[in-house]
Amino acid sequence: MPTKIVLAGEGGQGVQSVAKIIAIAAQKSNKYSSYLPGFGVEQRGGVSLAYLQISSHPIPYPQFEKADIVVCFCSRAVSTVKKFIQKNSLFIYDDSAIDNKSLEKIKSDVTEYLAIPAQKLGREKFTSKVANIILLGGIVAHLKEINFQEFENSILEEFASKIEKKPEIKDLNLGALKAGLEIAEKFDKSKHLFEGVTPPEIKTAFSKDKISWTRFPEYCKGCGLCIIKCPVQALKFSNEIGFLGLPMPEVDIQKCIGCKKCMQICPDGAIKVEINP
Amino acid sequence: MSENALPKSWNKETKPHKFCPGCGQALALKILGHAIDELGIAQNLIYATDIGCSLLSWDMFNVDTIQTHHGRTVPLCVGFKKAKPGAIVLGLTGDGGGYAIGAQHLLNSVMRNDPITIILINNANYAMTGGQLAPTTLLKQKTTTTPKGREIIQGRPFKGPEMLAQISADDTYIARGISTNYQQLLNMYKKAISNQIDGRGFSFMEVISMCPVNWHTNAQESLDFSEIEMAKVYPLGEIKVPKALT
Repeated sequence: MPTKIVLAGEGGQGVQSVAKIIAIAAQKSNKYSSYLPGFGVEQRGGVSLAYLQISSHPIPYPQFEKADIVVCFCSRAVSTVKKFIQKNSLFIYDDSAIDNKSLEKIKSDVTEYLAIPAQKLGREKFTSKVANIILLGGIVAHLKEINFQEFENSILEEFASKIEKKPEIKDLNLGALKAGLEIAEKFDKSKHLFEGVTPPEIKTAFSKDKISWTRFPEYCKGCGLCIIKCPVQALKFSNEIGFLGLPMPEVDIQKCIGCKKCMQICPDGAIKVEINP
Repeated sequence: MSENALPKSWNKETKPHKFCPGCGQALALKILGHAIDELGIAQNLIYATDIGCSLLSWDMFNVDTIQTHHGRTVPLCVGFKKAKPGAIVLGLTGDGGGYAIGAQHLLNSVMRNDPITIILINNANYAMTGGQLAPTTLLKQKTTTTPKGREIIQGRPFKGPEMLAQISADDTYIARGISTNYQQLLNMYKKAISNQIDGRGFSFMEVISMCPVNWHTNAQESLDFSEIEMAKVYPLGEIKVPKALT
């Protein structure tokens, strides 16, 4: 029976790269592997899914319904991967990026899990861009049939053109892989609850005497058009993030003149400006 | 000006919509939503979409929606209007559907002066398939199929409204707006739709849009490209207005 792995995350988080690296590493270790990317219709902003199978026999069909290992990169992907979880599936997730509310939906289905704080570790020790490779380290720990050296080789192959431009990428990625592997090997399920992060409360409403300015994190895609269109430079990017994980604008309400330019330019309807009589 | 962030005619259950961050088409459709709200026609409206990025709006509005093969939005709208003359038919198409594969339908419908409204989004490339050369691509603009920039041998940028204005009847409304000019675009939409409601004839609008993902631009560069570079080649404003609407 092939080992079936499904990976899901936001587009751009590197889900497909991770799947490709595993597939190539498996082939180099004389295994059969199949990798099938699955996208929505969106160019950007959809959940990116990858079907992966590794076997010592030829693989008849690349798609599957239930997975042995389910890897989840972000909160939005949790509901996408729910249908792949079966009894004894291993659920690998980023507990520094996925919120408790999303995990609550699958709590009853998951028996085996592995939590890796990939985003947090990436930010602190490497860069947040290698979070996917840290999670890959967690997957590697459960793919003992593949030679570890082959994972390193296929990472170097996958990022060859980037390493040529920026040589430090090589050490960042190899370091991230080892860090992920280390966490996975030390992970003790009995000491670790099935939980993620509690998202901080986001301030949405700003107001002064007659003007009230509201933003909607559930709609904001962080395009930044409002910041440029503001005639008095009252808007700037804040540390809070919208539903796509991109920074949201915030207003310096003292500067705001209530012209509603930001509300008019927003393609997503994520800003509301009201002038109270 | 509408006081709502989201138009009332938008289907709130399907929001956030599927357009990319900073998409000009989403902006154009938000303003269209406000125009539909102000005219109060959501009950009587039929909204038709094409293949391409315009398809992403199939569940955008709380109105009856139909969809067809690539480039056939115009004949679909004409057919619906013939069957139900009381309905207000609004077709949305991209520059690929309207000026390339579906150009003959658009042309013949204008010649017949069918009483429908067509909105064409011009983002100067084929956005959904990854940014290939479109009829509306500017000269020297780089796309995935013209990596050195569009050359004259690949044709000049296609000026649809100007062409249609030459062959259309007197009571046709033809205009070109830009997604970033809220008030102008809102007024154009209202005129284009009311031209159909009044039963005068064909209404055509081209909306200059932005495609940050395929142009590989940030917010400032996208605005500059659409408001300056594109507006230079595609002059904004009303090109043909029926006497009754002036």
